Amino acid sequence: MKDLFKGELVRLSAFDPEELAKAYTGWTRDSELTRLFDAGASALHSAKAGKDFFEKMVKEDGSANHFFSIRKLDDNRLLGDINLDVINQWGSRDSFVGLGIGDRNDWGKGYGTDAMKIILRFAFAELNLRRVSLSVFEYNPRAIRSYEKVGFQHEGRQRGALLRDGKRWDMLYMGILAEDWKEQNHG
Amino acid sequence: MKDLYRGTLVRLSDESPEVLAKAFAKWNQDSEQHRLADDDPAQLWSEKKLKEFIEKRAENNSKSFRFSIRTLEDDKLIGGVGLWVASWTHSEAWMGISIGDHDYWGRGYGTEAVRLILQYGFLELNLRRISLGLHAYNERALKSYEKTGFKMEGRMRGEGWRDGVHYDSLWMGILREEWLEPQGTQP
Repeated sequence: MKDLFKGELVRLSAFDPEELAKAYTGWTRDSELTRLFDAGASALHSAKAGKDFFEKMVKEDGSANHFFSIRKLDDNRLLGDINLDVINQWGSRDSFVGLGIGDRNDWGKGYGTDAMKIILRFAFAELNLRRVSLSVFEYNPRAIRSYEKVGFQHEGRQRGALLRDGKRWDMLYMGILAEDWKEQNHG
Repeated sequence: MKDLYRGTLVRLSDESPEVLAKAFAKWNQDSEQHRLADDDPAQLWSEKKLKEFIEKRAENNSKSFRFSIRTLEDDKLIGGVGLWVASWTHSEAWMGISIGDHDYWGRGYGTEAVRLILQYGFLELNLRRISLGLHAYNERALKSYEKTGFKMEGRMRGEGWRDGVHYDSLWMGILREEWLEPQGTQP
């Protein structure tokens, strides 16, 4: 069996609240990052506040929410983080994935796409889930293309759910089913 | 100004935890009511447990606007409706409604309660959009939401699993201007 946590460009590693909080303090100086992955109003948090936030998050939803850091395979550099939150264990076995690549210079290089492939394999081959869902903002075409590439299908469009810079944008919902994934990867 | 809380069949009310717990305990005895309104497994809760739950959720209500529904004719408590503001920044909320008493299904009571909560959301909270989710098998609700102006925005494939059948979840939404226009009110 292959190493579940290793891709072609990146690998998933243990989620370290202190390390990530420190990295995010730097990454979020660029407001575009927060606006790409969070619908909330952009804010700046100290490394201490970030650490407390991450620790609380892991403690509170740790049993159903799987947190990982993303590192570059060749030099082990921290690139961002990804989490898979199992939102329904007994019925639909559905989950929600969230992903962030921190530094603008690392965007568009395939790192996020590779991390997403790893988390889908983890979801379907390890956790035996039935679905993985995600939401993405209309103004993030790079992410949308990446999700389409790994097999997510468009399932919903919340019209004008976001208001940024005085303009309304849609919130898009995408999903992939276990059978779609199996067909694409072993079919 | 008109009374926001009053329609022609029902009015919105606020009930003490004791009254609400008693009604919930009665309605919950029918699993169908639960399975139409919720995606959690149906459960039977005692009146005491329900009262504690109701009291606890009332503590954190800065983003929740919950009402009970009473008939105008005989002041009977028949269900509940509410708005949960997902984001003040984007001025968006989720709506939920449940008519607990079967005798009042399919007779326009729920539809009018939806109209009242939309009026409250758009005229009192000044929201820009309201969203909702429903199970694909809840055709009565779907018709009611279409009637009140919601538009279909998404279909999550196989998002639920009940009675051995995978079913879709539907998402709908209504924008402020779509609601205001038929009322003859300026945005």
